[in-house]
Amino acid sequence: MSERRRVVITGLGAVSSIGIGVENFIEGIREGRNGVSPIASFDAGNFPYTTAGEVHDFEPEAILERLDVERWGRSSLFSAAAARLAVQDSKLDPELLSASRAGSIMGTTAGEAQVLQAAVEQWVANGLDNVDGRLAAMTPVSQIANSVNHELQLTGDAQTIPTACSASNMALGYAYDLVRTGEADFMLAGGADAVNRACHAGFYRLGALAEDLSRPFDLNRSGILTGEGGAVLLLEPLDHAVARGATIYAEVLGYGVNCDARHMVNPDAPSIAECIRIAHRYAGVKAEQIDYICAHGTGTPTNDYTEVSAVREVFGERIPPISSIKSMIGHTMGAASAFGAIVCGKALEDGFLPPTANLEKLDPALGDGLDVVPGKARPATLNIVQNQGLAFGGNNVVTIFGRVA
Amino acid sequence: MTTTVAVKPLTITACGVVSPAGLGLDALESALRSGVDAYTAPQSGFEDVTDSYPPRPAWAVPDLKVAEHLGRKGLRHIDRFTMLGLIACKLAFDESGTVLSDEDRAETGVVMATNTGSLVSMLEVGRDTLLQEKPYLVNPARFPNVVTNACTGQIAIRNSLTGVNVVVSGGQAAGLAAVRFARTTIGDQRSRRLLVGGIEELSEVAAWGWHKSGALHENAPVGEGSAVFLVEDGEAASAAGRTGLADLLACEVGYYGARDAAGRAEGLRSCVERALDRSGVSPGEVDVVSLGATNHRGLDDLEEQALQEVLDRPVPKIRVSEVLGELYSASVPLQVAAILALWRGEPAEHARVALVTSIGGDGNAGCLVVRECR
Repeated sequence: MSERRRVVITGLGAVSSIGIGVENFIEGIREGRNGVSPIASFDAGNFPYTTAGEVHDFEPEAILERLDVERWGRSSLFSAAAARLAVQDSKLDPELLSASRAGSIMGTTAGEAQVLQAAVEQWVANGLDNVDGRLAAMTPVSQIANSVNHELQLTGDAQTIPTACSASNMALGYAYDLVRTGEADFMLAGGADAVNRACHAGFYRLGALAEDLSRPFDLNRSGILTGEGGAVLLLEPLDHAVARGATIYAEVLGYGVNCDARHMVNPDAPSIAECIRIAHRYAGVKAEQIDYICAHGTGTPTNDYTEVSAVREVFGERIPPISSIKSMIGHTMGAASAFGAIVCGKALEDGFLPPTANLEKLDPALGDGLDVVPGKARPATLNIVQNQGLAFGGNNVVTIFGRVA
Repeated sequence: MTTTVAVKPLTITACGVVSPAGLGLDALESALRSGVDAYTAPQSGFEDVTDSYPPRPAWAVPDLKVAEHLGRKGLRHIDRFTMLGLIACKLAFDESGTVLSDEDRAETGVVMATNTGSLVSMLEVGRDTLLQEKPYLVNPARFPNVVTNACTGQIAIRNSLTGVNVVVSGGQAAGLAAVRFARTTIGDQRSRRLLVGGIEELSEVAAWGWHKSGALHENAPVGEGSAVFLVEDGEAASAAGRTGLADLLACEVGYYGARDAAGRAEGLRSCVERALDRSGVSPGEVDVVSLGATNHRGLDDLEEQALQEVLDRPVPKIRVSEVLGELYSASVPLQVAAILALWRGEPAEHARVALVTSIGGDGNAGCLVVRECR
């Protein structure tokens, strides 16, 4: 592993509740569009809260060229579609890609939860011996990356990293490692998840679910809204991207990863602060160089206080503008960090600060000097930004991106 | 664009095994040499479920005696899947004989292979949303178990390991993905030592899943278990005078799910060739192959055919899933453990070399080269 290459992001693919395709998605982000709506994917009638960030207009057949949509679950269809869109966006020749040493690393939280949900319904209704045998092969979380390799005919790694809500930051970091060290020449990295009944029930039961709006950093926030979608980025060596005249959104400068090792559910500020420092060290940047933070920003009071406190510990008096895109698309779980990375890439390229939507009154308990970019995006020249992912299990991953001049 | 380069070995310094043969490498060795006298029948993973297991052998890990290994505290809401992993990690730490300082713990991480996490925990929540009086009346204390990384989170918490912490999935070959991940992590000095392995939990749901899928041979058994290896950089281990059990050399994987059977065989063959090449090992130096597709209809022949094409001679084979049952996510780790168990029981003059191969119905395949430490 003596080889070290600079790695850049040259393709972005988004299947989100506020838009499909990176341009539509980013347009929604810039205007602070609200992507949540009444739940349609399962009968939420007996739940007190009935809102989520579903992608109602997703038509996989319209995007996918190879996958048989009957044989893959919704999360896999999200990931494969987002990957296909990322390759189209990159203008890289798909034939060249599939003939290269290329693969995918994909994050997820609940994997094919809707497939599992269907299996449970059949089980409860008719007994285990009458569950459709085809569901077995569709259930494993490994299908999320397999679907990407299958759709794009890639023969490199097809690895899914199911480390909950920071999973796609871990996927991005690992895919960057593979390209940087020469293990692969191109990698698709990102994440996918689908709204499902079990997740909705669990977060409600934990008291972490909001009723109808996600309001990170707001005095009156009440929790998360579950969301869904697929978000994928194409990683390519800088030299190759320059040689083919590709649009370069950003360079991956590095990442940090650690584990709280304290509590399964409650985040830990000193540990998150340490993760940010690790990320800075690996990326070769200093805290004062960071121009923007894409927060984990789930919208629960616990997350807000812990995350802001960790950021203060690292940045001291001057905290860069920090916002949460979950205010618009809800908590897309294993796709969340990859959506954040896409936003970071476009923010660097187009020069804007992504907003926190739905903010009415900033929670004063979060302290002074906090710019959460309320409402809509603001123009700004950004050079280096950071993207934070925190997860159940205490898994923190922070990625750092830079503008390539 | 790039050419493949030689890999830096990772050294296994200790190993923990939990399987239907019992705990530890000795139990595994005895099972591989002379079979298991009586397998333990599995119990239901669920409360209030009356569905029986499907009509095929199902082999569980014998009585876990959890308290003996993990103490009595803080285990009330931990599921069996995580227990299997916690005990395998404990056995690996015990065998290593080293007491980790706080600094060591900050430099120790966890990389576990699983394609499902605890299906039992996930389905418990799924059932509750249908069967409870209200769909949200799931058990809040057990809800965090549904995340696929619950096990690695618990391993970190119970051992205060704040290093890289990750679960990886890649179908039958998930354990190979874990080795690849581990190499990058240690190569970049993100963690100095890692617990690397995989976990599979038996339940009536998993057994029916295999049974109905048609993927396995008619009477192939389904099993469960975990193997975990304490792993560090080979040079660092030698420099510190730590003797290893074996070195993990190159590990090459690929996805061939979009191809026909011949194309999948060709894919596996290319993985074996690349792995040998990057390990600096010639086909003639391979002493033994630990097979991964033994129970799998169609894939078992394909695996052996690919190996024959590369090695061009009959080589002794280990079929660990014949004696432990189908191990899916834990398959590769127990294939490696089987090699270690047999080598340890029968010393040889030279440093032996083994291949660990894997090919799954989803299209993931790969090969790992393992060399005995001397």
